[in-house]
Amino acid sequence: MDMIMHMIWNDAFWFAVIRVTTPILYATLGAVIASRAGAINIGIEGTMLTGALMGVLFSALTQNAWMGLLAAMLSGALLGAMLAYFALKMKSNIVLTGIAINILSAGGTIFLLTTITGDKGISTSLNSKVLPNIDMPFIADLPVIGPILSGHNVLTYLVLVCIVMVHILFNHTALGLRIRAVGEAPESADSVGINVFKIKIIALVLSGILAGMGGAFLSMGYMSWFSAGMTAGRGYIALAARAIAGNSSVGALFASLLFGFADTLSNYLQSVQIPVEFIHMIPYVITILGFIVISVVNNKREVMRKKRQLG
Amino acid sequence: MKKILSMILVLALATVMVACGSKSAAPAPEATPAETSSEATAPETAPAEVTKIVLLVSGSLGDKSFHDSSQAGMDMIKEKYGDKVELKTIEMGSDKTKFIPTLEDVSDEDWDIIVTGTFHMKEPVEEVAPLYPDKTYVLFDTAVDYEGIEGLDNVYSITYKQNEAGFLAGAFAAQMTTMTDIDNINPDKKIGFLGAMDIPVVNDFLVGYIEGAKYIDEDMKVDISYIDSYSDAAKGKELALIQYQNQGVDIGFNVAGRAGLGQIEAANEANCYAIGVDSDQAALFADSPEKAARIFTSALKRVDNSLLRTADMYFEGTLPLGKAEEIGLENNGVGLAPYDPSTSVVPQAVVDKVEDLKQQVIDGTIVVPSAIGMDSDTLSAIKASVQ
Repeated sequence: MDMIMHMIWNDAFWFAVIRVTTPILYATLGAVIASRAGAINIGIEGTMLTGALMGVLFSALTQNAWMGLLAAMLSGALLGAMLAYFALKMKSNIVLTGIAINILSAGGTIFLLTTITGDKGISTSLNSKVLPNIDMPFIADLPVIGPILSGHNVLTYLVLVCIVMVHILFNHTALGLRIRAVGEAPESADSVGINVFKIKIIALVLSGILAGMGGAFLSMGYMSWFSAGMTAGRGYIALAARAIAGNSSVGALFASLLFGFADTLSNYLQSVQIPVEFIHMIPYVITILGFIVISVVNNKREVMRKKRQLG
Repeated sequence: MKKILSMILVLALATVMVACGSKSAAPAPEATPAETSSEATAPETAPAEVTKIVLLVSGSLGDKSFHDSSQAGMDMIKEKYGDKVELKTIEMGSDKTKFIPTLEDVSDEDWDIIVTGTFHMKEPVEEVAPLYPDKTYVLFDTAVDYEGIEGLDNVYSITYKQNEAGFLAGAFAAQMTTMTDIDNINPDKKIGFLGAMDIPVVNDFLVGYIEGAKYIDEDMKVDISYIDSYSDAAKGKELALIQYQNQGVDIGFNVAGRAGLGQIEAANEANCYAIGVDSDQAALFADSPEKAARIFTSALKRVDNSLLRTADMYFEGTLPLGKAEEIGLENNGVGLAPYDPSTSVVPQAVVDKVEDLKQQVIDGTIVVPSAIGMDSDTLSAIKASVQ
């Protein structure tokens, strides 16, 4: 126990938590936006993977990391629009279409990688760029939190900006209000003249852009290359985090942090004498516990709300 | 319009299915007896003038690892035997349902030797090989069940003693970890191991690694982590960073496919060192020299050498068909990747010591235990001995 406490009260531990959280947080924010508009974006995993590859390819092509990020965002937007087109315009099942996007990305990224580099596993032969790490000017000098909060990748700070932007979008803009209206009652929204189709497309495109940025973080910050299947289920974890987050951007932050914490904890526990099977279980156990807590809280709220309505 | 389109689609689908079906299913039963009778007169002890060898890749080339190594073996055979052999390589891709039909098709053709590998091909070979007794099958990195299944007298299986490669890697790491005159090497007698999963093939490397480290120094500690994935490089990086930054590990060994490459990223960030696996990982990072310099060496399964050796034995008539053979250091089936003396900081003394140990393993003075078939208590005890 002493050892575990010693581990947790360590700058490197919390620094790692933030690093592990970042890609999940992007994806969770993307899931929140889609879900707010009443459209489930199962394709986040594949969108991230495509974003990761596009970031590497275009940063290698232009020799500019920011152009890589832009390409990742555009590819995310494109996949979001594709999902919207097939699911909303062509009336395919949105979950199946999302799965199709994941499969397309899993194979398509390897196909593209092979065509361009001749490699099927990893993009190290491309001289791709990475986005810079940033030392925060004042925060870096602070005791305790300085080393934890400073020195992260620029995308880690950008995700915080994204949280604020998503929060403002939903609570202080007309578009956000429309997205929420479309998500909660599409018929009512339609009856007051909102173009439901257009609003959902916008939401799915925004969702794709965020997922693409999460992918770019993996290949241009976390790693300095793309490797096949490198998202390794983070897009799906984001969907679970979305459920815990309860559709708010601030909730997304905490839900993703929970996953980041659980994952980092399980990484650190590997050096303690606990069977590795138990350690690999920890993130999933925490997910289930998180769900239980959230549903209990939500139930209570619902009961209270009904009581108020009756009273 | 839509109706016509869907009709065309259905038609196309049906044609494809019929075409595939007839190709894979029809020739197999009729051809089997025919071929056995016609070629029974030409026994395999006297190979025809031109020996036809086909390699079935159970995946795709370009993995810079296992499959490419098997292709390299074919190239070596071509180089050595020239016009005496006719070679072909078929990439079967990742669709495992195609493996058996492809193997059947190829068995129907006039190839003398059919080479294939990885555990995906174990069952296909077990199923197809007994139907074509006049063909020679070579299966690498796994062995067919000779005792449980009849008629596998035409199959030669090759497995690799990855524990011996692990032994050399461990002995290498244990020597390097106390060389404090190299940048960022600390005096701690502690090395790292980053495995993909807690499974026998990975643990076989680990057991060898531990034994090699302990052979150099009884007090050597090994920090062991498992990623639980072959593709999650980010998690591999996290685990390696913990070893490097918190556990005092300065040199680690990754046995985790692409996920293990996260260790190189971590080594670069923490200014520590890594040992690769399967392929020369330093060559993988040839375009970023600062990362390549982090990789001292790599533990290799030399599929290429083992295939050339198989061809040699075939032409000498000594190929032990109907048997599985374990190839180790002795036959160059496993080994460490050569160091590049111009860029490497590895001292000559270490290189010599590893060479010496290699010789001792070959002579049999050192016997490296294997995790394959080891019971879990023994394995846990070995792991605990270096904690």
